[in-house]
Amino acid sequence: MATLEPQNEAERHRDGTSSETGRLPGTLIRGGQLVVGTALVDYGRRQRSSRGTAATVGGGALIFSALGGMSRVKRALTDRTDSERATEPERRETAVRRSITVDGTPESLYEQWRDPETFAEIMGHFAEVTPVDEGRFRWTVHGPYGRDIGWETSVVVDEPGEICRWETPTDAVLPNEGAVRFEEAPGDRGTVVTLSVAFEPPGGTLGSAALEQFDIVPKKLVGVALDRFKSLVESGEVPTLDRNPSGRGSGDTV
Amino acid sequence: MRALTWHGKQDVRVEEVPRPEVVNPTDAVIEVTATAICGSDLHLYHGRVPSMREGDVLGHEPMGRVVEVGEDVETLEEGDRVVVPFTISCGACWFCEHDLYSLCDNSNPNAELARETMGHSPAGLFGYSHMLGGYAGGQAEYLRVPYADVGPVKIESDLTDEQVLFLSDIFPTGHMAAENADIDENDTVAVWGCGPVGQFAIQSADLLGADRVVAIDRVPERLEMAREHGDAVTIDYEDEDVYDRLMDLTGGRGPDSCIDAVGTDAHGTGVVATSDRVKQRLLLEDDRPTVLREAIRCCRKGGTLSVPGVYVGRADNFPVGPLMNKGITVKTGQTHVQRYLGPLLDQIESGNIDPSFVVTHDEPLERGPELYETFNDKEDDCIKVVLRP
Ligand SMILES: [Zn+2]
Ligand SMILES: [Zn+2]
Repeated sequence: MATLEPQNEAERHRDGTSSETGRLPGTLIRGGQLVVGTALVDYGRRQRSSRGTAATVGGGALIFSALGGMSRVKRALTDRTDSERATEPERRETAVRRSITVDGTPESLYEQWRDPETFAEIMGHFAEVTPVDEGRFRWTVHGPYGRDIGWETSVVVDEPGEICRWETPTDAVLPNEGAVRFEEAPGDRGTVVTLSVAFEPPGGTLGSAALEQFDIVPKKLVGVALDRFKSLVESGEVPTLDRNPSGRGSGDTV
Repeated sequence: MRALTWHGKQDVRVEEVPRPEVVNPTDAVIEVTATAICGSDLHLYHGRVPSMREGDVLGHEPMGRVVEVGEDVETLEEGDRVVVPFTISCGACWFCEHDLYSLCDNSNPNAELARETMGHSPAGLFGYSHMLGGYAGGQAEYLRVPYADVGPVKIESDLTDEQVLFLSDIFPTGHMAAENADIDENDTVAVWGCGPVGQFAIQSADLLGADRVVAIDRVPERLEMAREHGDAVTIDYEDEDVYDRLMDLTGGRGPDSCIDAVGTDAHGTGVVATSDRVKQRLLLEDDRPTVLREAIRCCRKGGTLSVPGVYVGRADNFPVGPLMNKGITVKTGQTHVQRYLGPLLDQIESGNIDPSFVVTHDEPLERGPELYETFNDKEDDCIKVVLRP
């Protein structure tokens, strides 16, 4: 997917129709949106030849009900204007990239991230992650009414101390990929850890429906995963409200 | 166990809730022996603070005995007597290492929620909304204390609970407010609000060498306390114009430093204050910045405004022009309590200050709900409530 490293790859993958050339923040944001849009449309095109109808993607009737909006969303993602955008319901961002600064060297942080136990704890708020074998993980997200959605990822780029990138096979029920990058921060501030996650919603709104159904908010997934990693590395534990007492009972969610 | 829980506007109850346990390896659990109601708890009581949930355990000024420690706790053991700071800090992040404990990067499990509203998340706090951590508070029989090697201060002398309890918040908070006020020898310092934090700010301003401290409030017994214990000149804002009186006192220069020890629920008088109250009710405004407005107007050009009073969201009619044109420096923030525990405990132990002078009510936890009301209404000469679980 072209969506992963918006700041660098936005330049490379930018659609020829774009006239933006500067690196001002606004330009970058628009560039990022364009990249996401382009990726989704590209995906849609590939899907038509290789994947058959959207119904085979999985998720069943609940997801299917969203079909009607497909063409509208495709158009919206490619050439919608600001006023058009304002009249549409807010969509879930499907590709997110965020950074956090963590105490430690890029090498040591990379090592910790790659420890399967640490990785499972970092993602613990979002999915159950269990190692399958070297570089492969099984992810399970628990949805409402006891419904689960799951997939497997394999590490596809692995450069110790610098970057690790993983992805699902293209026929996964909810194709997605992620990457983490480690870069030295200025002065005594440690290392900038940048996590990117992108979901390729099958058929545009179909995937969005899956994200909604399982309450997957990529922005939150990324933000919280980075917080958890940082806390674990710096203080040795992830702050928790587990068994937190209140008039509602014990724990955070009751 | 029994705890005071929040159930909405002016609705605090004594309730049976589960007893907390050690969850993380650096946790301790204390049996609370004394716990106080804070002025900032009244912001919760008024339903001003977003992200409170029905049933949340209140309280952030506790002390007690350690009854359980996690496997990684090194400095505490069962039986230790400790005072617990209201700020929860990991002790290991960049902010903690730079003594900015209330800005700890790692202690808020709901950091994402805080980030959405504020851009960044400050430290988690006890009993002070889900955005600021969601941790159960200390107005309860037991309290889980994360990062037990970083926060709690051990009390090894035979000082009473009331003498050391306020190390948890209001004594360090008043002290940091005075420190943030950048006080020089010949300075006049004006303090808005003579509640407990104001009282400690007045005392600390005096200790830090202020030439004169002016205390502003409308409650007679609070003004009396400021005169008696803080040697302050007092202004009752219902009787006289604060600006005029401050100019009289300073030859027209204005106070060199102003401290807002009131925060969001300022009482205030006049048209603008009324408009604030209406907007707040209509959810158009979160904070009533009455004191901030007045302090900016009164402050000497190039002076300092220190804000220990708690604000929660947005405010209207904020005099940003006067602030800018008068070149005023603003310093604020939740207190970096851990930074002050050692030095201020020394001050108490050496007899330089006895913080128990603010206590007006000392009652069992069961009376919590009615004492919230008493404290809120400033009835019965109420200045500081200590509760015994
Ligand atoms: Zn307090
Ligand atoms: Zn910290």
